[in-house]
Amino acid sequence: MAQLVRPEGLTLDRQEALRYVGYNGQAIDDALLGRFELLAQACEQDLSPAGVWESFAIEQVTQTGVKLASGLVLEGTDIAAHLAKAKEAVLLACTLGVESERELRKYAATSAVDGMLYGACASALVESLANAVEASVVAYATERGLRTNFRYSPGYGDLPLDVQPGFVRALQATVRIGLTCTPDNFLVPTKSVTAVVGLFDAAATIPDEGSRCSACQLRYHCELRKKGTSCHGR
Amino acid sequence: MVGETVYEVTSRGMNEPAKSSFDTGLRIADEHLRQVLLGNEFLVFDGAMGTQMQARGLAQPGVNPDLLNLTNPQAITDIHAAYVAAGAEVITTNTFGANALKLEGHASVQEVYEAAVACAKKAHARYVAGDIGPTGALLEPLGTLSFDDAYEIFAEQVQAADTAGCDLILIETLADLREAKAALLAAKEHTDLPVFITMTFGEDGRTFLGTPPEVAAEVLSSLGAHAVGINCSLGPDELLPLAQSMAQRVRCPLMVQPNAGMPRMENDMTVYDVTPEQFAMSMKALIACGANIVGSCCGSSPDFTRALRAVVDEAVAPVTRAYEPALVLASAQKAVVLPAGTPRVAVIGERINPTGKPKLQAALKAGNFDYVVGEAVSQAEAGADVLDVNVGLPELDEPTTLACVVDKLAATLTLPLVFDSSDPEALECAVRSYAGKPLINSVNAKQESLEAVLPLVKKYGCAVLGLTLDETGIPPTAEGRLRAAQRIVSAAEAAGIPREDIVIDCLVMAAATNQDEACEILRAVSLVKEQLGVRTALGVSNISFGLPQRGLMNATFLSAAFGAGLDLPILNPLSARYRDVVAAFRVLNGQDVGSRSYIETFANALDPYAPRAAEGAQGSVVAADQRTMPELSLPISPALADAASEVTCMMHHILSGQRGPMADATLALLEAHDALDVVNGVFIPALDEAGRRFDSGVFFLPQLMASAEAVKAGFDVVRAHMDACSDAKVIADRRTIAVATVKGDIHDIGKNIAKMLLENYGYNVVDLGRDVSPEDILSAVEDGGITLVGLSALMTTTVKAMEQTVSLLHERAPQVRVIVAGAVLTPEYALRMGADYYAKDAAETARIAERFFAHEAH
Repeated sequence: MAQLVRPEGLTLDRQEALRYVGYNGQAIDDALLGRFELLAQACEQDLSPAGVWESFAIEQVTQTGVKLASGLVLEGTDIAAHLAKAKEAVLLACTLGVESERELRKYAATSAVDGMLYGACASALVESLANAVEASVVAYATERGLRTNFRYSPGYGDLPLDVQPGFVRALQATVRIGLTCTPDNFLVPTKSVTAVVGLFDAAATIPDEGSRCSACQLRYHCELRKKGTSCHGR
Repeated sequence: MVGETVYEVTSRGMNEPAKSSFDTGLRIADEHLRQVLLGNEFLVFDGAMGTQMQARGLAQPGVNPDLLNLTNPQAITDIHAAYVAAGAEVITTNTFGANALKLEGHASVQEVYEAAVACAKKAHARYVAGDIGPTGALLEPLGTLSFDDAYEIFAEQVQAADTAGCDLILIETLADLREAKAALLAAKEHTDLPVFITMTFGEDGRTFLGTPPEVAAEVLSSLGAHAVGINCSLGPDELLPLAQSMAQRVRCPLMVQPNAGMPRMENDMTVYDVTPEQFAMSMKALIACGANIVGSCCGSSPDFTRALRAVVDEAVAPVTRAYEPALVLASAQKAVVLPAGTPRVAVIGERINPTGKPKLQAALKAGNFDYVVGEAVSQAEAGADVLDVNVGLPELDEPTTLACVVDKLAATLTLPLVFDSSDPEALECAVRSYAGKPLINSVNAKQESLEAVLPLVKKYGCAVLGLTLDETGIPPTAEGRLRAAQRIVSAAEAAGIPREDIVIDCLVMAAATNQDEACEILRAVSLVKEQLGVRTALGVSNISFGLPQRGLMNATFLSAAFGAGLDLPILNPLSARYRDVVAAFRVLNGQDVGSRSYIETFANALDPYAPRAAEGAQGSVVAADQRTMPELSLPISPALADAASEVTCMMHHILSGQRGPMADATLALLEAHDALDVVNGVFIPALDEAGRRFDSGVFFLPQLMASAEAVKAGFDVVRAHMDACSDAKVIADRRTIAVATVKGDIHDIGKNIAKMLLENYGYNVVDLGRDVSPEDILSAVEDGGITLVGLSALMTTTVKAMEQTVSLLHERAPQVRVIVAGAVLTPEYALRMGADYYAKDAAETARIAERFFAHEAH
């Protein structure tokens, strides 16, 4: 059944948050750094991050997509590769909650700098949250003697954002964690993540994890790649 | 003394509000239903429809199940009949998603309700409830559906249900209080049938939009729902604490329809883990907390209804709800509760009021509601419990402005609001779509005012602030003010407004001009409280007009007023003196239990009257700051040569992003220098330097923005200074740029940064917002005579919309030049789509604007 995850005392990676707003080793005045730290702490303390995940049997993998037993179809050659030879597929969704929307609007209204820094902090926090939810999936997999591959989100490669509503429905994410979709398939609250993780037999070959950038639509415009780094730390 | 009258209110409150809250014209099917609405008898609803459809193989993925009323009416009738046979008195029509949005034109709303009611009647239901579920779309501000559109969707359903012959309307499974309010208003305004409304809550005890059950109960029952409660959500055991919270706050019968426990997936079917017998046992506890309208939701079957029926038949009569009369002011997320008969102080922050505040006036006129949010946030942080919102300026359209400001505040803060206006139209405009229970400020004892305001208060379930003035003015004596208050209270009660929703303001006069009245005001507060049993408010700072050391006078009067029985001081929470008095009095009235908050605040605080030893400390900090200042190689303009060190210091503030010291520094410089020299000799070169540092990678984006913010702090002072000296030579010639994030894109951070930088270079920036259609951009440009437009898009998918906007502008407004920017754009792509300029970032946008207007000037 669907697992609810509400990690306590979640912290956000300050370096990563700064990186989101273009930090690249510049000298920062204490005043700005102090302001950033206060916002980071507010982000960690004021929100109630929550996630939900559930493992689904894979009914069919073709070259152009994956059909899960719940009826959800994940379209695209990239997701098909991601889940090739997987035993099951875990859908996970997590969000910083409706308070995050309110706080983002509040900081953006009172100061553009605060708004930007808080937004970066929230992005870093939702990343920590996704890691925590993923850890819960990995623990579950390990218990069953299975292995996992990396989190693959709608919007990566050719897995379209159209899948978001079905994703949210499959996990009952609206009633369980307050996650919804706009008609244009954006997640609301905006600081949310959905992702697919494959579960594999211990002996199975797990698809190549180095291909995240090559599947990314922004690979030709990416400022990080120009500097020789990446957004996923690999 | 105080207690005696208050107790009267309390005893009247116990389980009785339902009796008096009936609309006289209500169409009630029979005597049993009437007794149910009075809370005297039980009513048993049916159970799950979706689960039964699944069990019978009727559910088809992707097909609206409400169409089955038309395509397979017998199957629906059979499900209803099974519930009737099991003892359900009310059959809920199979119309959960029968709204114009969800039916997508497959059938009309009217057709579906006609067919659905026919199925329910064919099953011999005693009562038919016309079911209305959520619209399925997310309302503003999180989503895109407007309150008015949601209202129209619901109104169509209500009319269809009424026409089709329902006995009552059931609005259920709502998670958004604002949407619930739209549905309830649509029902109240389109039918005279009883309306029941239930919301759904998550495992954290709130709806997914953050509304706790007590707020839903207060707001919806004040709005005149005939039953309020909880459905779906969780199992009956998990719902118990939520139902208990609701029972304390509902003024009408309490309704509960839990799920059959918690859902889990088994062989790809959703299954529930509670048996009918367990369910019925658990329902006993819900009945014991006061629920008299009961049923079941997801996962249940007629067996659940049968077991529940047995439990209800065993219980003799409904239990009295533990209703606690209280003054409750609520936002969608938070309630400020002042229980009747219990001493409590709630501070109303007064700062959102343009009277005597030129900056706020300017912000409101310019539609700069962010400034208002800033005022709200600072008051919230200073401990205000509720915020007064007044936007009354002669040149403003008050109804529209008040509604916009209220929407903006509700989207950014959780404090309940006070709507402060003398214009009933503005009040209605703001209160109608507000998801909460506001305090209406104000009504007075004049007949005209009572007649205009009280019906609004009643209709929208608000609390009301009454001013003790009548046709003769403000009575000078305590007894005179009491008489005015009496008139307001009896008129309010006659209009159906319960006494606990009334607050009386005895009106403070200046001690300098009306010294005799100071003690009369205090006596009036005591009299009103003792004799009328209502809460009291005062606008405290009026007392000190015309006297020196106003803070001292205000704080002293506040203390005295608390002693006289003041509950809701209206004051500036940023004043530490006020805050100290409030904190101290909350120990005396028992609100600060164990003096915990007082001790935390003051245990290590300095005595404000102790002589100060460390006067020089601050100066040394500044000196240290200056010592560590990096060398600036910026030349000092000749006009400022005599203030070289001050200018260097300000440039340092700007480049280190410190807005704090900028206002004072700018003011000092303006004393002996021309405003234009300050702008051209300090702000612009420092901003240019920040831009250069950003371009070369010495600064990252937040540093550039912090510099711009520091300049803004200085600019604000320059503007105020120039307004004050009515200097004819205005800094910028109001060169105007419109900025927008294009249609389909909600990523507006790039646009916001550009706006901020442009403003600080002195441009007048018209911010059209995000997700803006090409047509809207065109009409804004035409209306404003704008010649430069900045467009931003983040996603590859929305670049198309950018292209359309560019061609529309070039075709219909050929004089306009367009700058495009955004992460996925390249100079080549920009050129290809026909844009006039490509900006790689906000700093470049500012440089383009500079070149553009310089060229235009020639």
